[in-house]
Amino acid sequence: MSATTLWGWIVLIALGLCIGGLGWRLYGLLARPYRPDRAQPRGSAWRGIVYAFTWGMMPWAKESTRRHFLPYVRGVLFHLGIFATLATLAVSPWRSALPASITMAGLVFTGIGAVGGLIGILMRIFDERLRALSHPDDYAAVVLVTVWQAAGMAFWTDPRWTAAFYALSALTLIAIPLTKIRHCIYFFFSRFFFGLFYGRRAVLG
Amino acid sequence: MSERIQQALTAFEKSLDRRLLAALEVCARCGICAESCHVFAAEPDFRNAPAAKAEAVRRFYRRLHDPIGRLFPWWVGAKDLTEADLEELAEIAFGACTLCRRCTMNCPMGVDTALIMRATRAMLTAAGKAPEMLTQLADAAIAREENLEFFREFYIDQIRELERELQEQTGDPDARIPVEKAGAEILYVALSGAHTILPAAVLFHAVGADWTLSMFEAANYGYFLADLQRARAIARRIVDEARRLGVKEIILAECGHAYTVLRWEAPNWFEDFPFRVRSIIEAAAEWIQQGRLPLDPSANPEPVTYHDSCNLGRNGGLLEEPRIILRAVVQDFREMSPNRAENFCCGGGAGLVAVPEWYEKRMRAGRRKVEQIRQTGARIVAASCDNCRLQLGDLNDYYGLGIRVSGLIDLVVNAYLAARRMKATAPAAPVRVSVQELI
Repeated sequence: MSATTLWGWIVLIALGLCIGGLGWRLYGLLARPYRPDRAQPRGSAWRGIVYAFTWGMMPWAKESTRRHFLPYVRGVLFHLGIFATLATLAVSPWRSALPASITMAGLVFTGIGAVGGLIGILMRIFDERLRALSHPDDYAAVVLVTVWQAAGMAFWTDPRWTAAFYALSALTLIAIPLTKIRHCIYFFFSRFFFGLFYGRRAVLG
Repeated sequence: MSERIQQALTAFEKSLDRRLLAALEVCARCGICAESCHVFAAEPDFRNAPAAKAEAVRRFYRRLHDPIGRLFPWWVGAKDLTEADLEELAEIAFGACTLCRRCTMNCPMGVDTALIMRATRAMLTAAGKAPEMLTQLADAAIAREENLEFFREFYIDQIRELERELQEQTGDPDARIPVEKAGAEILYVALSGAHTILPAAVLFHAVGADWTLSMFEAANYGYFLADLQRARAIARRIVDEARRLGVKEIILAECGHAYTVLRWEAPNWFEDFPFRVRSIIEAAAEWIQQGRLPLDPSANPEPVTYHDSCNLGRNGGLLEEPRIILRAVVQDFREMSPNRAENFCCGGGAGLVAVPEWYEKRMRAGRRKVEQIRQTGARIVAASCDNCRLQLGDLNDYYGLGIRVSGLIDLVVNAYLAARRMKATAPAAPVRVSVQELI
């Protein structure tokens, strides 16, 4: 068995742990009572929910993101980089068969994500406010994901980075349910409840 | 673990539903919410940022519910809840957050910090750490129902006094303020004091409404305490009265939290809710749109701005109705910036205005609102929530704004009575404003 194949198996095991861990988190959430609003709505719940996941996420949609436009866009790019790195992991076994355009897109998006992550690390270290809010977990999570994206970028530049990319992928996947990265699963619930609340009350949407 | 901590944690666990758990887990600690909070905007100490306030709750939540928080608490900033923490949490949840949800609107994750603070209030109330004044006011409201016979005669005498004023104002010797009238269409629930009864009575008389006045007041201090049992008991008095009288609709006085309680929360508490609940703001806007109220806006010639109450506006959806009213009843309406769902809290909401020892705190918290008012150049600030009006009045005195604070319905009554006077002296068609013109 080659080192790459071995790492491939390790990533699959890590993926299983990640899915299991997130499943356990999801169970923890869904086991809690859901208390829906029974009052007659003034507006459309679905319009609010759609707004929450679309227009409401645009940088110009909120006073806070208009004010912190660049940090917000940095965050968006960082998260785009995460999706690109996940996609990189998914297509990595077929790397040599992929067209150059995919290679270039993978390189660009993982690169943008890594730069976004690096800026995020520096912000968390040097911004007094963020420092006051942060725990070791916050630093570790952003460092891990940034290095993982950088490894994804390196993977696209040179296949010799495959083992390192797989090692970091395995580590990141295991970390997802245990660290602050788990907010990825709660995000959808939080925005859903947000849209539902303001949609029913005809405030947004 | 002390008994008090145990009580606090039991109450917290009861509140921990899906919405609260998602709000506790999802924060990425980006800090982008900070300036959206009026408390932080007035005093930019990061401890006033919504994320930092909620973090005080997340610390013990993680200690209890996160495996890493249990094994390596220092890694995720988890810690056990202590008696000293309860004191700090009381300052945060009751004194530094008005549950206005402006931060929620501004959070990329949609973190409902108000929900976290409500759960914290519930926990503190259960542990006996809620402000004494709020507890006393809630208990007094409950006691009123228990001793209704004792209050009834005195209350009805007071209403008869007001009725004479109503007859004077309307020029109609038959004008009435009905109380406990079975079969009336509308049950009007006022606040303590004539200022929310008489103007509403004038309008009900003007449109010929079939109404009756509630024996109870709309305010619900149990809601401020996040004490479901007390809040329910206070709301139940009105719900039972509405059922007993067989009304089709409850109309609430200009009160932000009463609207939240009876319009949005109470249907979750009571099985049967066979009537609709509206604010008098919605009713007045409808009457104006239907042309049922002759109005003379020259009765309100000074520049007027409108303060959106968080409970009615951002959290209740009454964003356009106040503007429909103001465009019809004043000559010079000026918007604050920002307004509607983005408006800043006045700093007195969620019970702060009732706690005397927090006067300085809420005066500081209202600084952003003062700037907003000054920028409009308005001489009158209209508000459709009694707590907001109290806070705005105090801000006026404290900062020397030189404004007058008015209820929306007071402005409607001014315009209506002026139109009636005009009609009496020189017969003319009532001022009718088209819906298109108002919107």
